[in-house]
Amino acid sequence: MSTETQSGTVERSIVERLRASPFLSQLLSNRLAVTGIVIIVAVVVLAVYARLTFNLSDLLATQFGTNPSEAAPSMAYPFGTDGQARDIFPRVLYGAWYAVLYGTVTVAASTALGVGLGIVAAYYGDLTDNLIMRTMDVLLSFPSLLLALALVTIFPEELGLWRAVAALTLVYTPRFARVVRGAALKVLEDEYTDATKALGATDPRLLIRHILPNCLAPITVQSTLNYGLAIIDIAALSFLGFGASPGEPTWGMMLSNGVEFGLFSGAWWWSFFPGLLLALTVLGFNLLGDGMRDALDPRMRETVD
Amino acid sequence: MVSNRFVLKRLLLLIPVLFGVATVVFAILHLSPGDPALTIAGERASQEFVNEVRSNLGLDDPLWQQYVRFLGDVATLDLGQSYQVNRGTPVSTILADRLPITIELALLGELAGLLFGLPLGILSAVKQDTWADHLTRVGALSGISVPIYWSGPLLILLFAQFLGLLPTSGRIGSEFFIEPVTGFILVDTLLAGNMAAFQSAVVHLLLPVVVLGIYQMALLSRMMRSSMVEVIRQDYMRTARAKGQGSKITVMKHGLRNAFIPVITVIGIQFGSLLGGAVLTETVFEINGIGTLLVDAINRSDYPVVQGTVLVFAVLYTLVNLVVDITYSVFDPRIEQ
Repeated sequence: MSTETQSGTVERSIVERLRASPFLSQLLSNRLAVTGIVIIVAVVVLAVYARLTFNLSDLLATQFGTNPSEAAPSMAYPFGTDGQARDIFPRVLYGAWYAVLYGTVTVAASTALGVGLGIVAAYYGDLTDNLIMRTMDVLLSFPSLLLALALVTIFPEELGLWRAVAALTLVYTPRFARVVRGAALKVLEDEYTDATKALGATDPRLLIRHILPNCLAPITVQSTLNYGLAIIDIAALSFLGFGASPGEPTWGMMLSNGVEFGLFSGAWWWSFFPGLLLALTVLGFNLLGDGMRDALDPRMRETVD
Repeated sequence: MVSNRFVLKRLLLLIPVLFGVATVVFAILHLSPGDPALTIAGERASQEFVNEVRSNLGLDDPLWQQYVRFLGDVATLDLGQSYQVNRGTPVSTILADRLPITIELALLGELAGLLFGLPLGILSAVKQDTWADHLTRVGALSGISVPIYWSGPLLILLFAQFLGLLPTSGRIGSEFFIEPVTGFILVDTLLAGNMAAFQSAVVHLLLPVVVLGIYQMALLSRMMRSSMVEVIRQDYMRTARAKGQGSKITVMKHGLRNAFIPVITVIGIQFGSLLGGAVLTETVFEINGIGTLLVDAINRSDYPVVQGTVLVFAVLYTLVNLVVDITYSVFDPRIEQ
């Protein structure tokens, strides 16, 4: 049997295992998790629809003369209009695009960084492990939102919301590194790792082909739980004035403007609807993340910070 | 009992962590764009004056010298002087004024969270898979999904604006001036014997504590539930029931102590989210704690204040986790190994 067919067989068996996976069937039998999936899919569809339908410059421009200013929700303006007479409805939909885009980049970047660092730390051990993990420990000794606030300042203001993404990526990376290192250490103890090494696999091959796939479960759960957190934290930074530029239709910015200029003059809808969509989206990710964790291992404890 | 050796070991481990924290803070400040000398001297100052300010601050020394000096200053609790607040006020003075306000808010928020979150979590676990359990779980998930900067303003709108029951913002009525003794407003008003001021302070704190508490309550009830569910499955619980103890007594006597152990660690880990929540709560309710101090300082490029505030937050967080670790070992002596 040639090595090629051998690896083909292995891959097929992985696919079969996934199909019959108790994880997926258990996840899909969890009503709350399915609700989460429905919410997430709806938000992503809205986000893509808004991105393709609306022109960002139209959403940014003030609409005095065209629309009434601070009009209450009505048939014409389902979510009302804001202080610049802009229709809030399409802006809130466009906010979904921002949330999905920036949230995805944040989670993807911190996952990639954390996975890399965690696996390298576990595999090489000793000094490398100590160096990486003690650095992670130091980063973990800051309350996350405060570290993000301090880190935002080191990136140039022109980056706008990408500043928040960069800061939060650095803040979240240590959590992934910890989770992955733990999982990788377990994999390294297994006999098949020794066998692969004995067969002459190179370090990178061993790390990517053998160790990484076996750490995927905890990585996925951690990413999902972090997704909601990333979206809420990006909006929090915008709310505090670090991130989105004024007028930009992100949920955090709309909320911040709505609270500052609209809430107490009676225009509650200005901040209410962006906040509602934000909370719903985060709830969707939390429902799914929770369900995934239960499906994976009912005893696995969360480390939400 | 906790051995002294364990406590000593944990204290020694604190040193490298604090050293690392100080290094990160130093690095962040030096990577920040903007020139502190220019900030102090003002935009219109002459180049000579800016240079003079820079050399007075020691900012033209080699980086390693600045770093060593910074570590020395931090070790002696000298956090420098503010660039903005009454130019030259020591950062440590500003922090000492503001810190109690934040701690008061955070502690009461945590207390509210514990008071409601733990019983809800226990109820949820004992009544596992009933409607009460489902309701609590969905409620808890919603609680951690709703941002403070949304629920806060909405509650202000409802209770302060529409119903007129509570004040909209601030920490105490503007008509009261209370001589700071401890810095904790609730304590100081009582010490002054001014009941009207105390009442005002309590009323001002209600909404902020509720907003901060909801989030903690949600996190804690989730944690308490999963921990309790785990404990209920254990053999010793079955044995206790088999001995003929009522299930309520079993839960109370054997279950709680064991279920609390993981919850205690989580309280420590979550102290970070509590502090982050406090920053947002202070911003929403315009409370002058170190959260609003930090946000203002970043906006005004007041670097020594940013540095000091972040440092204090990190030290606070680390110390709380140290206390948690030690408490943990009281509950579960095996941890010491």
